[in-house]
Amino acid sequence: MTATFAIEVTRLSKRYGTTTVLDGVELSLVAGSRTALTGANGAGKSTLLAILSTLVSPTGGQVRIAGYDLQTQAVEVRRRIGVLGHRPMLYEDLTPLENLLFFAKLYGVANPRPRAEAFLEVLGLWSRRFEPVSVLSRGYHQRLAIGRALIHSPEILLLDEPETGLDAEGIELLDALMLREPAFTVLAATHRLDRIAGWADSTANIERGRLVSHQVSAEALAASR
Amino acid sequence: MNGALTVMRKDLVLLWRHRSGWLSAATFATMSVLTYSFAFDLVTDDVRPLLPGVLWVTFLFAGIIACSRSFADEVEQGTFDAMLVAPIPRSSLYLGKAVSNLAALLTIEVAVMLMATILFNTTLLTAELAFIVGVGTVGYVSLTTLLATLGSRVRSREVLLPVLALPLLVPLLIAGVRATGGALDVPNGDGPWLLLIVVFTIWSAVGSALLFPMVVEQ
Repeated sequence: MTATFAIEVTRLSKRYGTTTVLDGVELSLVAGSRTALTGANGAGKSTLLAILSTLVSPTGGQVRIAGYDLQTQAVEVRRRIGVLGHRPMLYEDLTPLENLLFFAKLYGVANPRPRAEAFLEVLGLWSRRFEPVSVLSRGYHQRLAIGRALIHSPEILLLDEPETGLDAEGIELLDALMLREPAFTVLAATHRLDRIAGWADSTANIERGRLVSHQVSAEALAASR
Repeated sequence: MNGALTVMRKDLVLLWRHRSGWLSAATFATMSVLTYSFAFDLVTDDVRPLLPGVLWVTFLFAGIIACSRSFADEVEQGTFDAMLVAPIPRSSLYLGKAVSNLAALLTIEVAVMLMATILFNTTLLTAELAFIVGVGTVGYVSLTTLLATLGSRVRSREVLLPVLALPLLVPLLIAGVRATGGALDVPNGDGPWLLLIVVFTIWSAVGSALLFPMVVEQ
């Protein structure tokens, strides 16, 4: 199935009781684009990413990811997305190698062991692959989480504050493996406005649950035509 | 099915590494049987009519302790969400969790029955009793695993799980005690109690597997 847009969000809304968290969000991202999602705390960035990740059901509207409907083809959507949050989402009593092997098997990756080991080398965790994750630093947790999110070769990356806990070297890895990697379509919620120009080709700004702007750089606009 | 096996294997490794959960349950079960043995020793010579109740009440509370942590740790570490964004059917996730809980509880139950055999001088390790306890435990774990998921995002989950589970488990408790009594030749143990256990187990397993996807949706 070919898709013009990697992510298509139409009139998306989310309400919890009487509280409206997202209100009529419209967003279309072409394949290969890299979009920074900005906005104040509580604006709805994390909720939008949670909906796109299939973790939260929308109240209204429609979402298509890689051409698949989020509501009716959720398993196909999950195959194609990689999710990285500000929490690393790792088993602390397993080792880095066991964590990556578990998620590789969960995603049905062929030859999971060589792939997991290759990631551990790239992420600088090879020498600590047999230690429990609980003894590793926060920065290493986040590095390993990058491996977890990429282990199944997703097409689309949904990132929520991905820089959390990373040192300068970790941020370089994040940039190289995720944010600047042309193979992916990236949508990343971030408060690091100083870094956006370094990796993003468009910026979507959310205020109080509404998408108030979506600015695409001139280069990206020209490339998409 | 591969997804369920992967989740089950991971949970069994974690059960072994992070022993506090099931060791608490095992310790509770051991202390419970030991205390009953001292108490009954003072009032009766024939403990067989009391044994079914001792066993099932011990199994029920030990199971609550063992199962309550199965999803709580996942939610606290965020790994539950990581599994939910994986392309495996929700039912596989449920099956993997339920089977690992079942393995932990059956291990505790075998230890309890061994201990009770020694303390109460009554043969408990028979094929009939093993079948009754085994089938009943499958039904029990099926329901408790679902309810543990329901309460996993709540702060007072340790209180919520028994409050939700025990009223629903009353039919199983009654049938389990009666059927176990029957196997121990206790009067009033006859009746379709084993059939009730089987029906409860099927209802619990099928219903929980169907409800699980809805429970994990936010």
